[in-house]
Amino acid sequence: MDQTALDLQQRVLALISRGVGQATTDDEFDRVARDVFAFQYERCAVYRAYCDRRKQTPQSVKHWTEIPATPTSAFKDFPLTCFPIEQTVAEFHTSGTTREQSGKHFLATLELYHAAISPNFAAHLLPDFARLPMMVLMPSTEEAPHSSLSHMMGAVVQEFGADDSAYYVEGGQSLLEKLVRDLCEAQWAHQPVFLLGTAFAFVHLFDHCVKEKLTFELAEGSRVMETGGFKGRSRELSKAELYALFERVLGVPTARVVNEYGMTELSTQFYDGTLRVGKRTDWKTVPPWARVLVVDPNTGGEAVENERGLIRILDLANLWSMMCVQTEDLGIARVSSTGLVEFQVLGRAAGAEVRGCSLNAENIVME
Amino acid sequence: MSATIESIREAVSRTREARERVQQHRTTDAVISVLTQVAKNWLDPNSVWRKQAVEYAPRHTGFSEEMVQEAIDLTFGAINYESLGELLDRELGNRRVLDEFCLRGRVQSRAIAPRLLVHFLAGNVPMPGIVSICCGLLLRTANLVKVSPRDPVFPSLFIESVREVDAELADCAASTDWSRGELALTQTALEDADAVIAYGDDHTISALRQLAGQEARFLGYGHKLSFGVVAKEAMTEENLPQLAQAAAFDASVYDQLGCLSPHVYYVEERGQLGPRKFAVALAEAMAAYQARVPRGDLSLEEAAQIAKFRSGYEFRAAGDKRFAVWSSPASNDWTVIYDDSPSFIPSCLNRTIFVMPTDGYKRVLDAIQKIASSVSTVGVAPMHERAVGFAADLARMGVHRVCPIGQMQRPPLSWHHDGRANLADLVSWTDLG
Repeated sequence: MDQTALDLQQRVLALISRGVGQATTDDEFDRVARDVFAFQYERCAVYRAYCDRRKQTPQSVKHWTEIPATPTSAFKDFPLTCFPIEQTVAEFHTSGTTREQSGKHFLATLELYHAAISPNFAAHLLPDFARLPMMVLMPSTEEAPHSSLSHMMGAVVQEFGADDSAYYVEGGQSLLEKLVRDLCEAQWAHQPVFLLGTAFAFVHLFDHCVKEKLTFELAEGSRVMETGGFKGRSRELSKAELYALFERVLGVPTARVVNEYGMTELSTQFYDGTLRVGKRTDWKTVPPWARVLVVDPNTGGEAVENERGLIRILDLANLWSMMCVQTEDLGIARVSSTGLVEFQVLGRAAGAEVRGCSLNAENIVME
Repeated sequence: MSATIESIREAVSRTREARERVQQHRTTDAVISVLTQVAKNWLDPNSVWRKQAVEYAPRHTGFSEEMVQEAIDLTFGAINYESLGELLDRELGNRRVLDEFCLRGRVQSRAIAPRLLVHFLAGNVPMPGIVSICCGLLLRTANLVKVSPRDPVFPSLFIESVREVDAELADCAASTDWSRGELALTQTALEDADAVIAYGDDHTISALRQLAGQEARFLGYGHKLSFGVVAKEAMTEENLPQLAQAAAFDASVYDQLGCLSPHVYYVEERGQLGPRKFAVALAEAMAAYQARVPRGDLSLEEAAQIAKFRSGYEFRAAGDKRFAVWSSPASNDWTVIYDDSPSFIPSCLNRTIFVMPTDGYKRVLDAIQKIASSVSTVGVAPMHERAVGFAADLARMGVHRVCPIGQMQRPPLSWHHDGRANLADLVSWTDLG
């Protein structure tokens, strides 16, 4: 890695090391973001071609909000790196469906990646500095080396988990019996636990518990981090239904369940402030080294506050890949009482209704 | 206003009484003349019906005023004395069989229309609903029309416009609406129906088919999709502007939301001009059509779909020469995407059209194999001998209509909608001799 790049990485690390509580001013963020943009424009040929096509270059872009966003689909089409790809230290793949190829996120270093994970996770999930047994409803990173979620779980278990933390997916099988046994033991011992998993992994657990007529009263201080949509992989529940089950089946009140919004294509995760503020909220905070824009798909410009639009993320920790990523998720954003932007995720921008009588991309079955 | 059980029963009995009178006092030929006059009235640029449709339809259908004007021209341009007569003659052998016994082969036969025909309309494209009501009136049956929430305007205005010419005939049709969730109302509407025409998605149609019961004749029209194929012979300097204009028309009408709207144009390679040239000319023609007939407003979800298609393909195009995108500047009004994968790619619609190079009809058949059963119409250019062979192959795959590009949105009244007869499946026969 050359000196310019390493200097830039140092500047990003400096922002991250300030922690979640220390907001960046627009100017501060803008200076680093535009330098990262110039760096990525120079190093990634396909991104440069895209920016040139849109006539948005480091010369013409005057503010971070004008930086061209890379659509998540582009991670499926090209290796998007700002370093020689043979120096990749880790690569994460999107799950994707069988029909389409998966998106790939190549990492030049884990340093930035891990730096972005820890302070944010600690602030939103462990504001009480608890060290709990972490029960992860995912395969370990050894089993799923290309899962960014497993990697992230591995990082937080290692840093924050008690010694008896464990993973409950092995060889592609959920270890439900073991999980239930461990939950029973924790309940008897009045030991608070920390469950982490995807929404559909929890639905799977709840279906099992309902079938076996099992309910728990997990010890006070227990908590849950759930993430991800359903993507048709399990029976779908509304968020309200799912959260009611945390309370009914596990005895974990919804004020102790935090939703994580993360993507394979990003290095930074976003959490709602539920545990941080002590009551249930769907608003997610944006750490100082990132920005979230909600974009009106009709105009391409920023949506009005509290109006729905597509979520666009600028993640400085994505220095070596693509900082500015256009998601396919709908959301709303607002300026909170503390003057910082917070946002809600409203789900995939899919399911455009059929207005006429033609099948469309959303509802045709190509089998 | 939503219907009630009482209002539905009242509408049914009113239309049935009117039917008795019309059966006695009108010949089929007289009905053809009335409908011809009604269509003529709509086509008048100063027509009061046209004015009302232009005023009220945009907010329900989402179409621009200009698109509503175009829809009126397309719908009522297809309805005239000749086309209505042809429809009857073609399907029933002779239009007079609805009035009297006519010699058919060695016996005389008379066609008996259903007593009550219930129409379940769907979507915002007005033509199928209007044609459906016309069929009911031609049969001089009683018609209960459940309008689509996407277009409550056209069917009601149409019935009123019939009233202007022939009040008694107009009384044979009543339009109404209720929510799909109101099962009791749907059951009430169907309790005396001996024929049903239903538009909608597969789920809606199979649910209605069940509710309609064994006895009723049932014509269900599901959602479909269409595409076009340009053969190399059509790709000449001389032909291209006109071809592109025709292709842009077919892809832009009804904002591409109709089942006759193409998702993809396959363009054969090795013509005088290449497939990319077609894409460029198509983009220009899409822009010209947009200037004349603007696309309607989009929901957030629809706009998000276009944004997703566009940004994804623009990024691809930046890094891979096999892709290219042309799009309306500073708006999402129209998009032409060039993609050389050998497949079928469903569009997000709202004037987003794919151009895909192909090395011949055979490859097109391979590409559409998986969606063949969902295809309504295939537009072709030119309509030459090779295309007839292609049409035969498409027919074997279950495609029901092949027509010239530029005519995709203008099916004749007597077409086999989704491969079937329109009237013949609704009548029964009495033989004499």
